[in-house]
Amino acid sequence: MHCSEFREHHCSFVDDTLPGIELIRMQRHMVECAGCAEHDAHIRRALLLFRNLPTIEPSSDFSERLEARLQACRVEQVEATYANFRAVAGIGAVASLLMLGYVAVSFQHGGMPAMALVAREHTPTLAPVVALAERPAVVASVPAAPRPHASRPADREPARQPEIVSASSSLPAVAASVSAGMPIWPAAIFAEQAPLHFATYRQTH
Amino acid sequence: MAMTARKQTPALANAEHSASLLRDRLRLADDSTVVSVFLQGEERAFSELVERYQTRLLNFIYRTIGDREKAEDLVQEVFIRVYRHLHRFDRSKKFSTWVYTIASNLAKNELRNRSRNPLVLFQTITKNWQDEERPLQFEDAGNRPDDLYRKRDIRDKVEEAVEQLPEHHRNVFVLRELEGKSYEEIAEITHTNLGTVKSRLNRARNSFAEIIAPWLE
Repeated sequence: MHCSEFREHHCSFVDDTLPGIELIRMQRHMVECAGCAEHDAHIRRALLLFRNLPTIEPSSDFSERLEARLQACRVEQVEATYANFRAVAGIGAVASLLMLGYVAVSFQHGGMPAMALVAREHTPTLAPVVALAERPAVVASVPAAPRPHASRPADREPARQPEIVSASSSLPAVAASVSAGMPIWPAAIFAEQAPLHFATYRQTH
Repeated sequence: MAMTARKQTPALANAEHSASLLRDRLRLADDSTVVSVFLQGEERAFSELVERYQTRLLNFIYRTIGDREKAEDLVQEVFIRVYRHLHRFDRSKKFSTWVYTIASNLAKNELRNRSRNPLVLFQTITKNWQDEERPLQFEDAGNRPDDLYRKRDIRDKVEEAVEQLPEHHRNVFVLRELEGKSYEEIAEITHTNLGTVKSRLNRARNSFAEIIAPWLE
């Protein structure tokens, strides 16, 4: 073994992490080479001094100071949680107010929000209230073809044309979906299809 | 009132008993169990972690930066960071390695700030002067004064020798010689590879032995 090899592996030699055969080679080299043996002793003595340095202990008020800082940290965390909660609640409140405002404005200007139409279809008790509002604009009209029916002579006469009347705009549907937590785009698609879903038949004359 | 007090006494005794049982169980548990207990909402588990690591971290940081007061502040900072971010700790890894990584990073930052701020450096030097003027009240009083002087002198020289090592050598040196960390752990803590750790440790040992040599003769 050369001295350079000995110096290269000396770190692992000191830490006892060399494989057995290497360890024996290192020990043999130390017997042969006085310089390397001296180097080894020199390093080991220095390390012994460092390892025997007295341990320092935390000062007497260390725990108190740490506890105070941890308490401040806990308070900070709780405050952050409340702040988040307040922000979410605030956004919710503003959204609700906007929604209510929009519904109110729609009624004032004679429009009929989509929800009202649904209510009209499904809740007969609300029908008189809804009827007070102006009827929504007709967005689609499907002329019903006269259906020939041999057994009923009355059907030969031109039948009364049912007219499809639907919600006049897609905005109420969008607004309704926002308050329900739906994203805007599905709501817009929903609003586009609103005439089909919310159409109602009305007798013409 | 007397009835209430009589009722509360066994309840309090029970609470104290269960608290002491928990303390004993935590003391026997390994780090990862203590961490799990803390994450389940048991604040007392954190005290156990502090108890286990405060002295070790203090010595590690003190030997790295050479300033006792600052070392205490940094140890506190380590615990605050652990408290805040423990939920993010990857529990498949060793807790001690994570804690030492935080401590090592803080110590490095401190050394970097010092080298940028000459005033801080000056304050550290003057603090060390004051340290030297302190009476020997913390030494073993049974020894002769000249022995005490020699002991303190050698201790100071050893500390000076460590401080003279380059920062990245010192970090590895302290982790290995003082904390007894394995090469793998040191590599993880210092974000380096195994070869670098071995090479830095070898150089640090050689440099340290060279610096200290005149006082050993």
